[in-house]
Amino acid sequence: MLKKRIIPKFLLCDGRLVKYRQFFSDERQAGNPVSTAKVYNDYGVDEFIVLDIIPSEDSKAIVRDIIKTMSEEIFMPFTVGGGVSLLDDVNALLRAGADKVSVNSQAVRDPSFVADAARSFGDQCMSVSIDYKEISPGVPRVHINGGREKTNHNPVDWALRMQDANCGEILLTSIDRDGMMSGYDSDMVARLDEQLDIPLVVSGGCGGLQHCIDAFAAGASAVAISSLFLFTDHSPIKMRSHLVSNGINVRASKTSRN
Amino acid sequence: MLCALGLRLDKNLAPAENRWMTSVAIIDYGRGNVRSVFNALDYIGVAATITDDPAVINDASHIFLPGVGACGDAVAALNARGLPEILHRQVFEKGKPFLGVCVGMQVLAAKSFEHGTHDGLGWLDAEVHRLDPGPDGLKIPHMGWNSLTPSRAHPVFDGIKTEDLVFYFVHSFAVTPSDPDKVLTTSDYGKPFVSALAWDNVITTQFHPEKSHDSGLEVLTNFARWVP
Repeated sequence: MLKKRIIPKFLLCDGRLVKYRQFFSDERQAGNPVSTAKVYNDYGVDEFIVLDIIPSEDSKAIVRDIIKTMSEEIFMPFTVGGGVSLLDDVNALLRAGADKVSVNSQAVRDPSFVADAARSFGDQCMSVSIDYKEISPGVPRVHINGGREKTNHNPVDWALRMQDANCGEILLTSIDRDGMMSGYDSDMVARLDEQLDIPLVVSGGCGGLQHCIDAFAAGASAVAISSLFLFTDHSPIKMRSHLVSNGINVRASKTSRN
Repeated sequence: MLCALGLRLDKNLAPAENRWMTSVAIIDYGRGNVRSVFNALDYIGVAATITDDPAVINDASHIFLPGVGACGDAVAALNARGLPEILHRQVFEKGKPFLGVCVGMQVLAAKSFEHGTHDGLGWLDAEVHRLDPGPDGLKIPHMGWNSLTPSRAHPVFDGIKTEDLVFYFVHSFAVTPSDPDKVLTTSDYGKPFVSALAWDNVITTQFHPEKSHDSGLEVLTNFARWVP
């Protein structure tokens, strides 16, 4: 049966790994993305997500180089995004070695973009990234442009619209929970999972192994993880064995296979 | 395991000196992440060329047919480049080892029902149907890692423990062959679907060995040294 996925999420700023809290505060440098990715590759994670958070023409070229280098030595799927606004951007990332391209702001600005890209490159390689935060208690709204610009879209409705536009996967990130390590927004995952027919990757808030168990129980197909791997002594190996012992179907770690 | 075999040391050898005297033609028909296939073969020290040139394909010892996207679209792209006849001759007359992956597996079927009804290459009496989400409303695409249940042994799985037969899939359609003897492995997604087919010098996989970490590299290594 299909296994639940564990996916390190790398945020890049000028080609360096960075991490914030709630998208803007407490910037921390986290090193070289390629060497970090190789470590996680050896740990046997399931995929990688790489997002350029302050995209420019210069940074896009840097990201393409990073993906090209990673894909020469890491044989796992990559989802790459940040500033994707043209079909040419999608094509350039796929050619650099991305398997899925993540679209965020452009999906809102041009509602036909995702459908066009899915038609050109295949549904399975279009991932729509949705960042949302509560603008008042119980009122979540999708934000674009790296969390800077509020829209009037509710994240559940927006995800379903993007599913209708033939995207292959949703990457759902809670801005409020980003970097806080206090747990995923499992209520939102459950609400979305009930209606969504495509895989859902949940992001934002993972601070412990129980948080992953909760997210999977709520219906997530995959968990995206940054802080927990970057800033604590948790590793994908430790996570897997804990998840397996809790009855969750994840890929066996390399150490147990050798 | 690959390290122990010293395979990584082969990376920089010239094609003529490569470990198994193998040269793989990765068929380029404008579809699929061909670069990642090349990278994976290069990493294990196998000479490979991304090509649609009949002369290069003719010189190759092994054929790799990649593919993502829709089946009908892929068949049209192959036809537009005149590749089906060339590949057919290499595989059926010359008997070269052939590996078709994902849509590169599906195009071999006689008929596909993705976005309408499309004729495939018809190398195999089979149809390509959409996966059934079933009563549990399973997510489609079937995306992620899943295990294989082999129905028999095959050289491409040599040396891989059964519990390590776990590979990366991303697809919404799957092949149903009329001849059950050609089924090499099935996988379970609500119910079993065919995840690999093999007969004579042909093997096709619905999963992506080039994206399946160590197990995938082992399959590619085995394919490169496969002499059917």
